[in-house]
Amino acid sequence: MHFLDLTIREIHEALLAKKVTVSELVLEALKRAKNNNYNAFETILEEEAIKKAQELDKLEVPADNYLFGIPYVAKDNFSTKDIETTASSNILKGYKPLFNATVIEKLNEKGMVLIGKTTLDELAMGGTGTSGHKGITYNPYDNSHTRLVGGSSCGSAAAVSGAIVPFALGSDTGDSVRKPASFAGLVGFKPTWGRISRWGLFPFAPSLDHVAYFTRSVDDAGLILNCLSGRDEKDFTSSLKPVNNYDLNHTVNLKNIKIGEICGVIDSITDKNVLNDFNNLVEKLNKETKVEKVNFDTKLLESIYPAYVVISCAEATSNNANLDGIKFGPYYDGKTYQDVMMQARTNGFSELIKRRFVIGSYCLMRENQEELFLRAQRVRRLIVDAFNEKLDEYDVLIAPAAPSIASLINNSSDKLSSEYLIADNYLAYANFGGQPSITIPLGFENGMPFGVNLTSKIFNEEELLYIAKEFEKILGFKNLSINNMKGGK
Amino acid sequence: MKEINKDVLVDASNRLLFKMEDSEYETLLSEFDVIQKQFEIMGHIEGVDEAKPMTFPYDIRIDYLRDDVPSTPLAKEDVLKNAGSVKDGQIKLPKVV
Repeated sequence: MHFLDLTIREIHEALLAKKVTVSELVLEALKRAKNNNYNAFETILEEEAIKKAQELDKLEVPADNYLFGIPYVAKDNFSTKDIETTASSNILKGYKPLFNATVIEKLNEKGMVLIGKTTLDELAMGGTGTSGHKGITYNPYDNSHTRLVGGSSCGSAAAVSGAIVPFALGSDTGDSVRKPASFAGLVGFKPTWGRISRWGLFPFAPSLDHVAYFTRSVDDAGLILNCLSGRDEKDFTSSLKPVNNYDLNHTVNLKNIKIGEICGVIDSITDKNVLNDFNNLVEKLNKETKVEKVNFDTKLLESIYPAYVVISCAEATSNNANLDGIKFGPYYDGKTYQDVMMQARTNGFSELIKRRFVIGSYCLMRENQEELFLRAQRVRRLIVDAFNEKLDEYDVLIAPAAPSIASLINNSSDKLSSEYLIADNYLAYANFGGQPSITIPLGFENGMPFGVNLTSKIFNEEELLYIAKEFEKILGFKNLSINNMKGGK
Repeated sequence: MKEINKDVLVDASNRLLFKMEDSEYETLLSEFDVIQKQFEIMGHIEGVDEAKPMTFPYDIRIDYLRDDVPSTPLAKEDVLKNAGSVKDGQIKLPKVV
């Protein structure tokens, strides 16, 4: 096993003990990135990464900086200075931002080495990893390339589960990190809305957008949060609340933790393996504490998805009005400035994105605002109130992160079924309310992973991570990748 | 609620400043068949019409007035780097009048 296959904390110890150099780690990561056949990358930053690694090798490894010299990747919707950033859309082809996103800047300052920008569903508007301008991103666990890795943070999920890097930045507006984490056997973590600055993250639906990320252990998720969290004057929605220490160096006793399982989600799942492994987990947890069943109105759970579609498409329609081919992106000549924009947007957006924008526009039409946009915002309030009421009573709410393993490409599901409306899309409730939410691996079916999600009340990241770490111990799936599958194949 | 037909969708895409093919409108119309049924679920929730619309995940304090800190603006050449049509240090577009 190469040092690159260890967790961030273990790689740090190896760097400190001079068992490996930053350049060795980065060269191995670049080699794997170039050999990947999952379509994980928009750009591989070979020259820049090698240069930075060589500079870092001249320095003493700081004992208290776990991120020093660790290679990582970022979803291609984070602004990176002088590096092409397209959000996997042709309308941004060639665009090189003039600044780094705050999170990129923070990771750079810690000495992390960005080795590439990863693919996503175009403009982060999708959940399949199939709609980016570079085509489908495949699940590294499926050699036949017939299964999705999920989206929209598809390339980041593939890069971590494909053993290229131990950490990847993503973004999560509905479930875009936490659901692919389930399909890729990873830890996928979305801290509270406002905990991490979003300055430099391309907006999709700002009232729902979160910076989120993939790691291969809960412990590593804490180390990354230590770096990324905190107020940023450039992002007025970033929180003024003081940050905690997320270095998980002690444990919690689950006996003191109150856990609720979300019945409506579990009841809507038909996959026996997912249900079986989830029930086994509950059985094990019940030996240490009592897992109680938590009920919500089924109609409320079924409304999460339609409310999400209305709010996200409406916000996206407005937020992407600046993509006009004039200030950045390919320019097309025309007789009028409207013609210039019309050509840029017609040629630059895929069919799927255009359809999403039209849906958003329809929801915002004067005649529809009360019945669609405002109603969706009212539903959002009821959903958030209902979940927050339960989160006042329980330390965490749990349920399978997805109803099954990653689906086959082009698989069509019944979009009016309870399984689709609830189990496939319920994670967006934590985007509505901004609660911290984490997915960790739960089990395998035919060599394909699936996960369990834990969500806590807002700004309760520290406790959530400690609880997730206990779950990780019980489940025994830590540091999974295709090079370290344990109970997998 | 506004009835959905091809004309409404064409009007929407024109306002959004992009063109769509006829086949794309057909796909969208059939997509709306399902989406509208999903949207209808929201109307069946008890108390929905009395709830206050929610625009952010929680109440946040927003400081609109920041301290006045001088900073260096971007250079003009940098700002124009990503523009596809530039002439004499400005973005060039077709004449409006």
